[in-house]
Amino acid sequence: MSSFALGVWGMVALFGLLALRVPVAFAMFAVGFTGIAILNGFSSATSTLASEAFTLAASAELVVVPLFILMGNVATETGMSRKLYDAAYAMIGSVRGGLASATVIGCGGFAALSGSSVASALTMGKVSLAEMDRFNYSPRLSTGVVAAGGTLGILIPPSTGFVIYAILTQESIGRLFLAGVLPGLLLLTMFVLTVSLLCWINPAMGPAGPKTSLSEKAKAMMGATPILMVIALTIGGIYGGIFSPVEAAAVGAGLVILFGAAMGKLTLRGFWSAARSSVVTTAAVMLILIAAHMLNPFLALSHIPQVMGEFLAGLSLPPLGILAVILLCYLVLGCFLEGFAMLVLSMPIFFPVITSLGIDPIWFGVLVVLTLEMGLISPPVGLNVFIVKSVAPNVPLSDIFRGVFPFWLAMLVTLALLVAFPQIALILPNTMIQ
Amino acid sequence: APAMAETLKLAHWVPPAHILTKSTVEPLQNALNGSGLDVEVYPGGELGKGPLEQYIRAVQGVADITWGLQGYTSSQFPRTMVSELPGALPDGMGGYDLIWNAYDAGQLDKEFPGTQPLALWLSEPNIFIMKDRDIRTPDDLKGLKMRVSGSAAAAVMEALGATPVQMPAGEIYNSLQTGLIDGVVTGASAVGDFKLDEVANSYTIGAPLGRISFYLVMNKGKYDGLSADHKAALDAIAGRPLSKSAEDGWNGRAADVIESLKAAGDNTVYFLNADEAAAFGALTLPVTDKIVGELGAEEVLATMQGN
Amino acid sequence: MLASLDKVADRLISLSALIGTLGLLTEVVIIMIDVVGRYFGAPLRGAQDITQMGLVLIVFGGMALCDRVGGHINVDLFEKKFPPTVIWLGDFISAWLGAIIFAAIAVYVLESAALSRMLNLATNIINLPKAWFQYFVVAACIITAFGMALRGIGLMLTGTSGKGAA
Ligand code: NA
Ligand code: NA
Repeated sequence: MSSFALGVWGMVALFGLLALRVPVAFAMFAVGFTGIAILNGFSSATSTLASEAFTLAASAELVVVPLFILMGNVATETGMSRKLYDAAYAMIGSVRGGLASATVIGCGGFAALSGSSVASALTMGKVSLAEMDRFNYSPRLSTGVVAAGGTLGILIPPSTGFVIYAILTQESIGRLFLAGVLPGLLLLTMFVLTVSLLCWINPAMGPAGPKTSLSEKAKAMMGATPILMVIALTIGGIYGGIFSPVEAAAVGAGLVILFGAAMGKLTLRGFWSAARSSVVTTAAVMLILIAAHMLNPFLALSHIPQVMGEFLAGLSLPPLGILAVILLCYLVLGCFLEGFAMLVLSMPIFFPVITSLGIDPIWFGVLVVLTLEMGLISPPVGLNVFIVKSVAPNVPLSDIFRGVFPFWLAMLVTLALLVAFPQIALILPNTMIQ
Repeated sequence: APAMAETLKLAHWVPPAHILTKSTVEPLQNALNGSGLDVEVYPGGELGKGPLEQYIRAVQGVADITWGLQGYTSSQFPRTMVSELPGALPDGMGGYDLIWNAYDAGQLDKEFPGTQPLALWLSEPNIFIMKDRDIRTPDDLKGLKMRVSGSAAAAVMEALGATPVQMPAGEIYNSLQTGLIDGVVTGASAVGDFKLDEVANSYTIGAPLGRISFYLVMNKGKYDGLSADHKAALDAIAGRPLSKSAEDGWNGRAADVIESLKAAGDNTVYFLNADEAAAFGALTLPVTDKIVGELGAEEVLATMQGN
Repeated sequence: MLASLDKVADRLISLSALIGTLGLLTEVVIIMIDVVGRYFGAPLRGAQDITQMGLVLIVFGGMALCDRVGGHINVDLFEKKFPPTVIWLGDFISAWLGAIIFAAIAVYVLESAALSRMLNLATNIINLPKAWFQYFVVAACIITAFGMALRGIGLMLTGTSGKGAA
């Protein structure tokens, strides 16, 4: 059997295990391990297993994961999340789906500071899901909004996705960050429109609340002051150069703990249970990330990206046709692979094709990152959907996938708009940097 | 008779466009051309993420050949790391000769168990890469936050009165932008690799700040198991010739980066004169003496320098 | 017999989670001290060394408890369409596959720890030995595998699945 065929069979096996309800991480471990063992020897597979398990669990970048979860858990435990959503409800609760729209905007704001989809989906999920539930929003809408909104983390700068793309392709990080701004805002707008459309079709998804007076609004905003202060200090600290986004996670968690304790809202027991449950969620999320890195060497050894690249080179299509085929490849691969792994594997092969066709590499970068975002919420391997599932254990995964589908369509429309009007991505970098 | 064809897997974690490809990987492939020994490259961490475990991957056979920096796991390479220290490399000598002198004398091989080093070399000299700060004298560094990667570099920064800050390489860009750090000390080639020129604007060259050492190692069992023909082809380039090619590549890339920084027009690129450089040396060279003394590595350093 | 083994597993799982939780709180404290100290020109030496290795305690410390509370994420898209035997089969495969995976991680990280000792590997600034943290991973993975194997045995004995495995 050729290595390519083995790679394809590996994906089929992955799909079979997932269908049998085997935990996602276990399925990826099993397929990745077997594939590496066949293509590169058993001892290579065992040492990859040991190495990936330890290096990801000791990665400086991923320290944010437990810290943002802790921040979200303590904010919930102390009632700060509740006050935040009371305030949002007072402000825009009378609009159908208003809280869901507010959550998407919150995701966009969080994305602007964290640079990571995982961190955005985790924190916003912890803070918002129970709250939307409290106001009778359908779990399908609320989980869908958080899973989709979290993906904004890699389109709105700073973005880990753009940094990796820039380093792989020797493009400018600054230009890519600028190029992501308008598409990010466009996507944010599309998400809000999607929420409105969904709630217009089915008002029960995000029922409208009572109109509130100005004094009620002011009172609700007052109640949310502590959490708003934590948010302001965290954002201010990052942009003021006091701490890095990773450290901001610890500072945010620390401030929420200190505020909660100072206001007498945080009991020792509540604090401990919030911390312990953060550790459990971290284990679930990190195990999936580790397992995704077992698939990566398997895919590299199977040469699937090369075969696809050669196939592309052999097609006699106009540049836009090639671009469409490449994006389609990403959409398909995105169903199975983790986004960054995909970028690393594919960029050395696709990028020369793109540049030889005269396609703007900055524009292509934005298109690719947006397509990777779609992979984060497409079944069966949708990382952001898994993350939302880890913070909303009672909502069936199938409901989250159904809930997120309209937002996936909104991303497809955004992608089409970006292909049709490259200026949306290029106008800022081309006017602000010579 | 020609030996059976064999393919070696070479893994690293940087993009294919990195200077490693032109300076090291391609010369190796070209030298083996026609010998029946092929080198297949897995760039970008395809066989395993990040720099930390590259050496282990060669030992355990995840790849046959891996590339890495001793500085990421400095506790494994205390003696080799002496080559990185300020003033270790005498003027006019190649950094690879510095390391191979000690290696050939049997003073470093305990730091490379389970592998056969194919190339060992040093980067171009480290320079100051700063945002909004011009460095002319050690006093200009007082209280500034400088990114460092290891404990020796941290000691050098402390000796200069700066505050050493530890952070992953991927965070340098953002941290310079927000002002979390004022600068970073590394080779000029890294400016291009991490796009630091987009956020830094003042570069000071010529202070003795040390260099960075690199390895390209091969799994020992795989090396020993090569056929005589293959081994002869590999041995013809491995060692000093491949190391020189690598080091020349790094130095050339650094020179190109510095030229482009000057050409960009919105940067300050300053070359310290001998007196100005000596003022930095007065503070950084004692750090080298102290570290070498604590290690008891005076003899290693002497062998390296050919004394 | 199975019940008393289960009690032992419970204690070990709690202990493992306790270490993970303490690791998490340590990270918050260490980073805050480092941030404040750095602002005043005196960052905490080796803060990144500690937080990186602390993450190992958090991730693997919580692993066994995560499994016990059904926290590992699975795809339930077809759950309603499957007959009980297929559900049971999925649970059975999950429990034993998980036990094998974690046992394998334990064995090979132990091997890798021996290599870490041979290569004298430690963190870069304050020299925390890598092997210590690898031994913790080994212990935590054995506990996780143990919990999963107990569940797998339970599934074999009863032949039915009370609830989802994970
Ligand atoms: Na972002
Ligand atoms: Na997907």
